[in-house]
Amino acid sequence: MSGVVFSLDGFRRGARDGVPLAVSIFAYGLGFGLVAAQAGFGVVKSVAMSAAIYSGSAQLAAVNLLQTGQATIWALFAAILVINARYLLFGATLQPWLWGAGPVKAYGSLLLLGDANWLMTMRAIRAGEEDRAYLAGTGAPIAVGWLSGTALGAAAVSVLPRPEALGFDLMLPCFAAGMVTAMVHSRVDLLPVAVGAGAALAIFHLAGPAPAIIGAGLAAGAVAALMHRGEA
Amino acid sequence: MTDSFPVLLAVMASAALLCRVAGFTLMRFVPVSPRVEAALRATPLGVMAGITALAVQAGGPAEGLALAAVVGLTLVLRSDVAAALLGVVVVAGLRWAGL
Repeated sequence: MSGVVFSLDGFRRGARDGVPLAVSIFAYGLGFGLVAAQAGFGVVKSVAMSAAIYSGSAQLAAVNLLQTGQATIWALFAAILVINARYLLFGATLQPWLWGAGPVKAYGSLLLLGDANWLMTMRAIRAGEEDRAYLAGTGAPIAVGWLSGTALGAAAVSVLPRPEALGFDLMLPCFAAGMVTAMVHSRVDLLPVAVGAGAALAIFHLAGPAPAIIGAGLAAGAVAALMHRGEA
Repeated sequence: MTDSFPVLLAVMASAALLCRVAGFTLMRFVPVSPRVEAALRATPLGVMAGITALAVQAGGPAEGLALAAVVGLTLVLRSDVAAALLGVVVVAGLRWAGL
């Protein structure tokens, strides 16, 4: 654990890399704000949800549940646990790298963890990023984009174009496709890619999108562990 | 539904927080062998491939072509970020063209 870096430089590097993602998250925030406002949440409540839950898919599900008027507290709690279960995986994969920063900085950084900057940070770690502030750095512009997008979407619900018209809904898949292409360096890397894609499609048909993403990660990890040569 | 919004918000926030910190915390007790490290390194590859595959399946020709373009552009431009942004332009254009 000696020589672990957590510097302003690393934070800045992460923030710079996070800006293109923040643009898409801003558009996603607009979308959530629109939905929340249509469901009767005002600007304050919508932004409070975006800040407190900080996960678009979980918030959309929560708004849907609340709209039915029959959601119990436990149903809400369970829905968010299930949809965000992938964060268990995200946190676990970051742990060996991030823990070196110490508990306060590590757990503080996890508050800014999302799908997009997890992908970006895992890519950076693979490329040799040593500065643990990188994760919080990528999270900062994304948080700004998410909260400002939510506020604007909820406030201007009647005048905005749908984000789909501009292609922003495909931003995360586009980043995922680009990053996976950049991260494949050898034939060994192609196997987890193929297994992940296959597992996602199969599980999606059985259980829906949230388990599909978790299953893709677990299946890819399992196959890599099985194929690993050398000492266990 | 009689619960007040602050109570609901606190419940939802605690569920989200639990997911954020629990995997990280549990992993502190797992010794990281080279085999575990290989699994951790492959996990994002599987997740990214999964996200892409689901988007291709859910989308039409416009989405499939745009994502294929992102893969090609990443190899040509050697920048995944530039390729991803161009992919968004491609899908917006294809949708505008009615594909």
